[in-house]
Amino acid sequence: MESLSRISSLLETARDLTLEASASLPSRRPIKPLPPVQIKKLLDSRSERDVLDGLRRVIAMQYAQPPQPTLTFFPAVLKTLSNPYPSTRPLVYNYLIHHAELDPDTALLSINTVQKSLSDQNPRVRAMALKTMAGIRVPVISQIVSLAIKKGVSDLSPLVRKAAALACVKCVRLDETTRPQVEEYLAVLLGDKQYYVAGAAVQAFVEVCGTDGKLEMIHPCYRRLCRMVVDMDEWGQLAWLRLGTVYARRCFPRRTKRTKRVQTREQQAKDFYEDLEPREEEEQETEYDEQEVMDQDLTLFLTSIQPLLQSRNSAVILAVTKAYLYLSPATYLQHAIGPLIALLRSPQDIQQVALHNIVQVCLVHPQHFVPYQRHFLLKSTEPSDIRGLKLEILTLIFPFCSKEIQNLVLAELEHFSRSPDPSLVRESVRAIGRCAQSPNIATSRRCMTLLLNQIHSSDHNLVGEAMEVIRHLIQRTPNEHRKTVVRLAKNLDHLTSPTARASIVWLVGEFAGLDIGEGVAADVLRILLKGYVGEEEGVRAQIMLLAAKVYLGWLNSRKNTNGNDGAVDGGNADTGLISSGTNDDGEDRGFREERAVSEIEKPQPIELLWQHTLLLARYTPSYHLRDRARLYRALLSTPSSTELASLLLLAPKPVPQAPSPSEARRDYLLGSTSLIVGEGLRSVDSLPDWIEEGKEPDSGVRDEGEVRQEYGGKVEGAKEVSAGQRLDEVLATKKGKTLDAWLNDEEESEDESGSEDATSEEGTEGSSDEESEYESESDDDEQAGLVR
Amino acid sequence: MSAIEAVYIFDEHNNLLLSHTYTGRPSPPSVLLPLYLQHAAPRSSVLYFPALNPSTVLYSIIQDNLLFFSPSSGTDTGEPLLVLEFLHRVADALEEFLGSPLLASKIAGNYDVVAQILAEIADAGVVCQGEANALRDVVETGPGVLNNLLGKVGLPGNASVPGLSGGGGGSLGIGGSGGLQRPGSGISSLQPAQTAQGSAIPWRRSNVRHTSNELYVDIVETLSVTLAPSGRPLAAFAYGSIAFTSKVSGVPDLLLSLSTGGKGAGMGHRGDQLRSVMERTVFHPCVRLARWKSEGVLSFVPPDGRFALCGYEVELLGADTPLTAGKNAYSSLGLPAGVEVTTGLGTSGNDFEVRLTQPTNAGGAGSAAAASLQSNLGGGGGLGSRPSSFRAGAAGSGDSKGPSLENLVVRVPLPTAVRNVTELRPSKGEAHWSPVDGCVEWKVAAKDFGPMGAVLRCTIQGPLAADSDDAGAVMNGLTATTYDYNDDEPSAYQASEKTEKHSNGVSVPVSREAKVAKSRELMPTSSTLSFGVKGWLASGLKVESLLLDNKKSRGLGQEVKPYKGVKYLTVSREGIEVRC
Repeated sequence: MESLSRISSLLETARDLTLEASASLPSRRPIKPLPPVQIKKLLDSRSERDVLDGLRRVIAMQYAQPPQPTLTFFPAVLKTLSNPYPSTRPLVYNYLIHHAELDPDTALLSINTVQKSLSDQNPRVRAMALKTMAGIRVPVISQIVSLAIKKGVSDLSPLVRKAAALACVKCVRLDETTRPQVEEYLAVLLGDKQYYVAGAAVQAFVEVCGTDGKLEMIHPCYRRLCRMVVDMDEWGQLAWLRLGTVYARRCFPRRTKRTKRVQTREQQAKDFYEDLEPREEEEQETEYDEQEVMDQDLTLFLTSIQPLLQSRNSAVILAVTKAYLYLSPATYLQHAIGPLIALLRSPQDIQQVALHNIVQVCLVHPQHFVPYQRHFLLKSTEPSDIRGLKLEILTLIFPFCSKEIQNLVLAELEHFSRSPDPSLVRESVRAIGRCAQSPNIATSRRCMTLLLNQIHSSDHNLVGEAMEVIRHLIQRTPNEHRKTVVRLAKNLDHLTSPTARASIVWLVGEFAGLDIGEGVAADVLRILLKGYVGEEEGVRAQIMLLAAKVYLGWLNSRKNTNGNDGAVDGGNADTGLISSGTNDDGEDRGFREERAVSEIEKPQPIELLWQHTLLLARYTPSYHLRDRARLYRALLSTPSSTELASLLLLAPKPVPQAPSPSEARRDYLLGSTSLIVGEGLRSVDSLPDWIEEGKEPDSGVRDEGEVRQEYGGKVEGAKEVSAGQRLDEVLATKKGKTLDAWLNDEEESEDESGSEDATSEEGTEGSSDEESEYESESDDDEQAGLVR
Repeated sequence: MSAIEAVYIFDEHNNLLLSHTYTGRPSPPSVLLPLYLQHAAPRSSVLYFPALNPSTVLYSIIQDNLLFFSPSSGTDTGEPLLVLEFLHRVADALEEFLGSPLLASKIAGNYDVVAQILAEIADAGVVCQGEANALRDVVETGPGVLNNLLGKVGLPGNASVPGLSGGGGGSLGIGGSGGLQRPGSGISSLQPAQTAQGSAIPWRRSNVRHTSNELYVDIVETLSVTLAPSGRPLAAFAYGSIAFTSKVSGVPDLLLSLSTGGKGAGMGHRGDQLRSVMERTVFHPCVRLARWKSEGVLSFVPPDGRFALCGYEVELLGADTPLTAGKNAYSSLGLPAGVEVTTGLGTSGNDFEVRLTQPTNAGGAGSAAAASLQSNLGGGGGLGSRPSSFRAGAAGSGDSKGPSLENLVVRVPLPTAVRNVTELRPSKGEAHWSPVDGCVEWKVAAKDFGPMGAVLRCTIQGPLAADSDDAGAVMNGLTATTYDYNDDEPSAYQASEKTEKHSNGVSVPVSREAKVAKSRELMPTSSTLSFGVKGWLASGLKVESLLLDNKKSRGLGQEVKPYKGVKYLTVSREGIEVRC
């Protein structure tokens, strides 16, 4: 995340100027293309400079866009391998790797020379030769490559061993049959004392065997790798984190211990056992606390990766978070939250990925993010997807915030709901809706009020969105919002946004007193029908639906009364209506009575309304609407049989869910691409379940027995020596060494202080023993390797 | 599995510049680019193309106007951050070798170097060497290449491209031409890249030799401040980075101590204070974490050349600042400039006013700041001054005396409905309205910006439909005047107008209200302030000392005292945002 080019772009304020200035910059060489013959001549030359120049031209041709044919130079280029110049070699190798596949026969000619370089005195030449040889994609040579790797594995220089580790990957890709041999080499390399060899070996292992194969190869070096991870390079760390997470799932069963809770000193105990799982509900039910019992080796892994949270590499930070989230969220996850927030400083491309992952963690553990709410305030300069993610996080942590912060968040959302950007308006209004789902009634009222205020806005888009969210909220708890619907219906007079109008009409049809016969709904319908011509199509559809519902409600109530009448005395409609009214309260009855009297004389007003609606719909230009009108007409054509229509029109609607937008991605693994893309890609990156108790490999397999025996006596004294003292000792004893060797020691002792730090929490004597063994041993090893 | 399959680089016109395939048969750049361009402008860094065969995930970053692609089509699409970090490292490494900024022509002219870098940074798709400096050991730039490059890269001014001088980063550009007069950076003797032994330190190339030894610390802080309409800060962060330039022979062992400048006092010892100010730190792998944890100092063996040592963030508000903190909380942040926006002004409410202010800092203001520059900043006295352990020779213009403010720019984005900004009246500086970006940009020269601040007033015009009312009003006015003119009785007109006003006393405000409501939609909802301050850090951090441990260092003569330089810079890149 800390990238130098980013900082330098900050530093160079006059960057554009510089760009212009250097646009006219002459390039290093005049790009005067030479004819192939002349390039060949250069390649055949005896002067190093000419050969180099020729090679550069060839490489430039190979990379130039559009690429120029360079295969013709193959023999000439290979011939330059016989030159003793070190400067040309990398270029020749580069060319060789690039072209070997195209002309395998010629490539094979070079194998001999490359093989000779494998036993060069210079380790860098050896490493390069090994790398090149493995890179030649000609399957015939797989056995030679395998042999070369074998030789490289036992090389004294760590550089060559690292190259050997990486060559393993290429060897298996080249020829699958070499896998058994390669795995043997990897097993050796995984146990390498030099951390950057081990790091490369882990990378190669993950690449060759995947994270789910051959755990028995990991067992013997598991503990050492845990201790070395701090010193590996970032890419090795990433591979180890990935491997270690899977390894832990497959080797350490999840054990929980139920400890009897000390009731009298509950708080005290909680403070004391910080790692108790904070499961409030469960605690209340039972008298026990559930406590994770972690294997010592798992603890070793989890503590050893903690320093990596200060890595400059965002991928490492995320990988550690992933390990914590899936291995031990209760104890360790909180350490990773701060570093995750730090990722928001990184360039925008990384920031976006980081936010997706933060949302993923936030879905499960929102409470951890509450102290960082300020980091999620929106900026007007951010692209919309980042803003959307930030809004989501704000709503996720909303229920956990204090009242002050809730006010802040709501003010924030209100501000952005007035933004000119329609997508942002939609996002923020929906976010308010999600906030309103909080169990706290006061809060959810506030949100509702906020939304209701929005419908007076002149921004159609905002009103439409707000109405949509209000509709959802009302549907969730219709009984609380009866009055709201009536109030909304009043707004129909001046509301202009078609989506909002449609929403309100629907709400009226659904909740405004259909069950009590003619409530507001009929009146609303009457008023709306007057303006039917001026409405948009969506609203017209809703009006028609409303009319159908009102008519149906009326039919139903009439049928009920008729039915009742039949049961009672089969008398006239007057008494029937009154008797049906007994279910309702007195006031209503009076209203109905009056109405019912008038119903006798002329056709029912509701029936008339219905007929009028159908008439209007028949001459609507939209055939969709006409079609629908026909459907309703057919449904309601026989006043006596309304069962089907009731089933269709008055069916209870499912309560709409407004989950967090990322809820759908919940199952994707933290840090995976699927999470960002939002689609399940075919990938193997899913974590295995915890292994069942009793099936796990014995913890003894991870012992590093022989090492202890070998060096057991030597380390007793060094156990409690601090890094500084060790350094002084080393200084005193190793005067006459080369610079590099000396530095290596220096490095080692530094490493030690680093790893000590990592393992200090563990505090077992055995481990620190082992550690110093590892140190001293690698000291010797390095010395041997480097002095030579 | 998580292997990098290929790297494609495009220039600013989306022409393919380079393609390097590591492994497998990834989709070619010619297929990916159109698909990438299909997506709307702020493109996601991770895109998925299921229609391709094989379906491909495309990772992309943009650095220095160059577009970097890395497709991934394997069964395992890997970790997105790994690939993105890798692409950033590639950009860093190219910059290390080719100089900053990266230009298409530089890449095209150095394909051999670029090819080696790409091949070394990842081996058959397995990322194996992310450290740009260590690549110097393995990448063969050939004899004479560096000199050749140096000779031609020379740019006008002192703010030269940190080319390959000294085999590493190079001088930083912020000093400007009149800025730091660094002693001529000695060109290190160039030895053949291939050294017999690998460097013992993975991030440092071996056998570093410099004729003059120099160490530079550049601390850059980027501001991110959000202000509520009332002017009180909602959030205020400074994101800091320490860029370190080391040009010291052998293997130096350095100790960098920072001090908080009084912040976080009472938090225990110095290290604790520092850690309470510098939050959520990330470090280059060379930093000894244990020393940081125990003593709060940065102890490290640096790579050669320039590198990012450390990143941190500072919560300027302080975690315990109540959310209800008043407006004066902003001035307590000590920022050199503030901005306020008032909307809905004028008779029909279609004016808005931007006020650029200098927050008066109760403590430091009012001192006899001769120049009108930053009395409040200069009031701090020691804020920008160099610690005594550094040589004073490198005092720059904006460094020791008083921090200098520059590049004050206010941007006011306007809604798309705004048709035109008819009037722009800045009291100082220049303002212009760009219809393409839909924003008003106002630049104020630092020397014009005094304690009195500056004001910009704009009148905006809405869409044509909304304008018809106005036109009608104008028509009315016109007829009225002609009538009056004909009548030749101005006094009577005035009188009549008065009576009209009286009689319509109720209706006039109503129509104004409607107008205001209409133009409220056209009002800006935020504005941003950008500036740069040299010689001052928002966090108040200071470099206390930078020691070279002669005992632990190697390959450096006992009497060698490297030249040391420190630079502070605070930048706001649209980082201060005011809502309105």
